[in-house]
Amino acid sequence: MATEVLVPLAGSIWEILVEVGDTVEEDDELLVIEALKMENLVYAPCDGTVSEIRVKKGDTVEDDDVLMLIKE
Amino acid sequence: MKPYFENMERFGKALKQARIKRAAASAEQLKQTENDTEQLKKNVEAAGFSTEKINQRGVMTVWQRIEYLVDPGSWHPLHSTYNPLDNVEGTTNVVDGLGKIEGRWAVVIGFDNKVMAGAWLPGQSENILRVTDLAQRLNIPLVWLVNCSGAKLPEQEKFYANRRGAGTPFYRHAELEQAGIPILAGIYGTNPAGGGYQSISPTILIAHKNANIAVGGVGIVSGMAPRGGFSVEMLEELVEKTREFSASPPGTVATHFDQTGFFSHVCEEETEVLDGLKEYMQAIPAYQARFFRVGTPKEPEFPIEDLYSLIPANQKEVYNFDEVLARLVDGSEHMEFRPDYGPEMYTGLCKIDGMLVACIGNRQGYLGKGYPEYADYPGMGGKLYRQGLIKMNEFVTMCGRDRIPVIWFQDTSGIDVGDLAEKAELLGLGQSLIYSIQQTDVPMMLVVLRKGSAAAHYVLGGPTANRHNAFTLGTPATEIAVMHGETAAVATYSRRAMKEKDAGRPLQPVVDKMNALAEHYHDHSQPDYCARYGLVDEIVKLQDLRSYLQAFAGAAYQNPTSICPRHHMLLPRSIKG
Repeated sequence: MATEVLVPLAGSIWEILVEVGDTVEEDDELLVIEALKMENLVYAPCDGTVSEIRVKKGDTVEDDDVLMLIKE
Repeated sequence: MKPYFENMERFGKALKQARIKRAAASAEQLKQTENDTEQLKKNVEAAGFSTEKINQRGVMTVWQRIEYLVDPGSWHPLHSTYNPLDNVEGTTNVVDGLGKIEGRWAVVIGFDNKVMAGAWLPGQSENILRVTDLAQRLNIPLVWLVNCSGAKLPEQEKFYANRRGAGTPFYRHAELEQAGIPILAGIYGTNPAGGGYQSISPTILIAHKNANIAVGGVGIVSGMAPRGGFSVEMLEELVEKTREFSASPPGTVATHFDQTGFFSHVCEEETEVLDGLKEYMQAIPAYQARFFRVGTPKEPEFPIEDLYSLIPANQKEVYNFDEVLARLVDGSEHMEFRPDYGPEMYTGLCKIDGMLVACIGNRQGYLGKGYPEYADYPGMGGKLYRQGLIKMNEFVTMCGRDRIPVIWFQDTSGIDVGDLAEKAELLGLGQSLIYSIQQTDVPMMLVVLRKGSAAAHYVLGGPTANRHNAFTLGTPATEIAVMHGETAAVATYSRRAMKEKDAGRPLQPVVDKMNALAEHYHDHSQPDYCARYGLVDEIVKLQDLRSYLQAFAGAAYQNPTSICPRHHMLLPRSIKG
């Protein structure tokens, strides 16, 4: 089962900190979204493996867009 | 109240390796800034004659006197690089800080006798007034190491007179004494004129055998009435008089111990003066820390070194304030006040060395959907919104009732703006917070973790809270300005740019001016600037932050002017519900 990592706040993708296949733990830093002049970290909602990344650096994202999937 | 305080709720998590790795460059940058600041402090310490030269005269330097006087490991310097009027000497010529003497906290200040024999310099009186304010706010003794040659005469116009000039500290000394705060003075060397009043205005005067204090020194006594100019004959006469008076200067111990009795004691050795100060410190009123402890002192659960990985040097990068706090307080334990309200602000009770303190800090990052509740735009930590302001007003007011010292942590970009924010009463709530702080009358300190901006820098317990803020610390990430430099450039030049565009003129000159203003803001908001011009009282290494909090808490609880019994406290009950 895969858990979707959603955009918490509309902005642009500043940096992606993981790759597909990486093992992550809950609260690990996954990527950075630039919004409201700040670089905001997005954290892993659960333990698992990054199975898919749907954005790339520079992309504009909206609230609740899916950023990546984590397979538990 | 043991169930409330002995073991409070644990918070914080161990750092992950990925965070440490990702923050490595930032940590390096912070440490480099700390090293640069340390070098500036060493430059001040090295000002004037060398230690060897002073020692060859059979005299200790002020630094050596302080080292002898204060308990090992207890010295917490303040104003180390303060030099607001850009003196060529690189210093205001006083050295000060918080230190323990014979186990009791005191504010210690001494003239740097390596620089012009401890002369008054521009900016010095402002430095001294910060120090007298500190003693008053913490209600602890002020200990002077007087060795003051009087005014640096070629620059007297910069400091002699004025409302907060070189004479104002003498009135402040009287104020402290009126408030029951003793001022102990160890007196060395020649102290004429201003130096004489520096010596006489304290409560207890202990003199070294070679000390003298006088309304006027040899330079004045041997002088002559103005005759419209000078000649060689006049100078010959002056030389003879100076020789005569130098052999027997006014105000020696023969006068002020044997005849006036101003000196309480006269000591053969320099160190005996300091021993005398120590003896008097043993005699001043001071509670032992255990009187006010609400729990057993504990180290934080997590290493303080983590702060270098948690607080990004990059001002745009968000971080978790709660994790920072968990590295500073006893046992990484707290009781958070209204955690579900005003998410942009942390408010809670913590312990430092087992003593209860209130902590308030800006949280960072996105605040979640639907907040602030009065607006259709997202809220971001670092800004203040309606709920956070209401929460702080309540918290601070209850701290005043419960007599709990407050530690503020700022990283703020300001109070929310716009008509929705006005309708949400933020202007009024900000001023309400100022009123609430003014009402508390408890000691406060501030750490500007990163940004101190806009009116939020005032309302979050800033140094502008003159009667409450004991001292303000900066860090290697501190940046203080009314707004970001680029924001200021936009505010200043946007209308000009529009006019230039409409007139068909090139925009590049405006761009150049905007970039220049932004750069000016940057240069005038960095840690060393803030310390030099007194925007903070000291830039400290992140690894030393807890130690300063311990000094604050220890000093605040040493002899408080009022007490709330722990079993009468309302705030912990309000938190527990």
